[in-house]
Amino acid sequence: MFAYNFQLALRSIRQRKYLTILMVMAIGIGIGLLITVQTMAYHNQKMPLAHKANDIYFIQADNRELGADPIVRQPFMIYLTHRDATNLMQGQSPATAHTTVWKSDIILNSLSQEVRPFRSATTVTNSSFFSMFDVPFLYGAPWDAQSDIDGAPVIVLTKESNELLFGGENSVGKQLRINEHAVTVVGVLDTWDIKRRFYDESYSTSRHDTAFISDSFAIKNNIMRNERLDCLPENRDKRGFWRTNDIQGLINSECNFVRLWAQIDDESRAEDYETYLVNYVNSQKELGRFPREMNNFVTSLHTMVTLANELRSGNDPLSFIAPLFFIVCLLNAIGILLAKFMRKTSEVSLRRALGANKAMLMNQYLLEIIVIGVMGGIVGCALAYLGLQGMMRVMVYQSDYSVTIDNLRHAFSLDLWMISKAVVISVISTVIVGLYPIWRIVNIAPASQLKSQ
Amino acid sequence: MLKMQNISKIFRTELIETHALRDVNLHIKKGEFVSITGPSGSGKTTFLNLAGLLETFEEGDYFLDGVNVKGMNDNQISALRNEKIGFVFQSFNLIPDLPLFDNVDVPLRYRGFNRKERKERIEHALETVGLSARMQHLPTQLSGGQQQRVAIARAIAGEPAFLLADEPTGNLDSMMAHSVMELLEDINKQGTTIIMVTHDDQLAKRAGRNIQIFDGQVSDINLDSSDVLVKRA
Repeated sequence: MFAYNFQLALRSIRQRKYLTILMVMAIGIGIGLLITVQTMAYHNQKMPLAHKANDIYFIQADNRELGADPIVRQPFMIYLTHRDATNLMQGQSPATAHTTVWKSDIILNSLSQEVRPFRSATTVTNSSFFSMFDVPFLYGAPWDAQSDIDGAPVIVLTKESNELLFGGENSVGKQLRINEHAVTVVGVLDTWDIKRRFYDESYSTSRHDTAFISDSFAIKNNIMRNERLDCLPENRDKRGFWRTNDIQGLINSECNFVRLWAQIDDESRAEDYETYLVNYVNSQKELGRFPREMNNFVTSLHTMVTLANELRSGNDPLSFIAPLFFIVCLLNAIGILLAKFMRKTSEVSLRRALGANKAMLMNQYLLEIIVIGVMGGIVGCALAYLGLQGMMRVMVYQSDYSVTIDNLRHAFSLDLWMISKAVVISVISTVIVGLYPIWRIVNIAPASQLKSQ
Repeated sequence: MLKMQNISKIFRTELIETHALRDVNLHIKKGEFVSITGPSGSGKTTFLNLAGLLETFEEGDYFLDGVNVKGMNDNQISALRNEKIGFVFQSFNLIPDLPLFDNVDVPLRYRGFNRKERKERIEHALETVGLSARMQHLPTQLSGGQQQRVAIARAIAGEPAFLLADEPTGNLDSMMAHSVMELLEDINKQGTTIIMVTHDDQLAKRAGRNIQIFDGQVSDINLDSSDVLVKRA
């Protein structure tokens, strides 16, 4: 009976092809937008470094002024001063490793006449960064711990910036200039699939760093942080920035700009770290620092990403619009389906007269709806693909072409899971909206249409 | 074979009740050819629909082949209808975009016959009505008389005990009507009980028995059988 019903479904679809096209398009457009939005969210919500997301912790201690904003967006606020981050790293903590992260813009110059110098979004960190975050290397290796101490003039490039500067060849040992300082390339990253850039709290899928330099080198050579700083009033100008280009002054100031990450291999030790942090803050309070009440956080990467996802999804208007739009499309589909089915009343009456019971007809029309749902899902996937391509180009445009399509492709790709999801959502929702038209048609009195044909 | 006892059918709207059939008592034996006549609106088609299990009834008992249909659920009624009853309609009611073979196949599908048996039955039925050479034609490629023959083939393919025909010649010219009537007579001779609604007195007379319906009440006119009940208000 299944094969027979399937034949009937295809016949019905051919028979009323314009109504079928209308319905498939109504469902497909709704699915297309929904899956476009859900695919972006799906990629955004992938857990970076999932295998150790519960071993890496973000360390926060609130050293802001008394009148500062309340903490409502923990993943996106509260950094440490450079000296607090340094003190915490150097103290007797339960962590097995620490790394700091802050951002700078530098001018990278390859010394070649053929490559124009360019501005580079650079992460300033230490050598532990690469081992803590399992950063893969295509060429060379991270700088060593001694270079952290010495402030050695070394740099690690990403694969993309190495492509730009050295045509993709092994550049380890080659010279570059950062601003006016000569540095040596010690390593080139391979493709680093972390889904989202969690380590600087941007949680971005798009922008990528182009280079990594050591914290000690940056301080030694007065390479300034480029982002807005969270400084106490005495350390900031009217715009909230650190008032001079004196990096030494900045690291001694009460400006919070350093992200501190700790690796704590045993989860129970996280509580010990919290105690360690409380003790540290209390010791600083005794020195007249940390004017606010105690607000410390030792949060796993897993929790940080989850919090960031919750905050982001709540703020994304598309996440509300897409389901509503899909519901509107489904309401349209009900109307079209009713029109389509109510034209079949005479055939339904005939089939009833010839021995079909309600369940048989229900199965027949249910299968037809499932076929339409699958078609809607396929059309929806095609539209979602186009939508994602469009959104990807919008992102490239928004980034002022600082990222390429290749950088973004991973975050805008329809994988088998999302394609399956599109088809399943389409089929289930089509079946749901089809229940009423099916109920109407199978309950037609069999005798009602036979005389009038 | 077909026995109705005190059957009544009322159509109700919010404002009005229409008694389509009143207190019908009837017994039709196996192998009879019964014509149903009566003026328009008298309840002929309602009677046929009720006999064919397409309508429910409010009162009375209806025995079809010894089975009381009262209280049966939709599945049971559909199965009984499929097995025991074949329908022939005035306007043929063929599915226009299905070839003749597939049209005849419809009730057999619901009966659950396997592919081989369906094929044999369809070929035999179409051969019986003289259309075995046109199995893959569409109904629209046939004349009215031929379409009605296909409808008859569809009705008899499952070898039902009853064939219910609602004005089977109503849309045909006299020559075609004559030919269809002959076909029905042949089928009746092979043992199928036929109940035919008609307006045509000449055709009605060719049946072995005529039942007239007036205002929802049934009366036998040509009493070939001794146990027919005549009831008038």
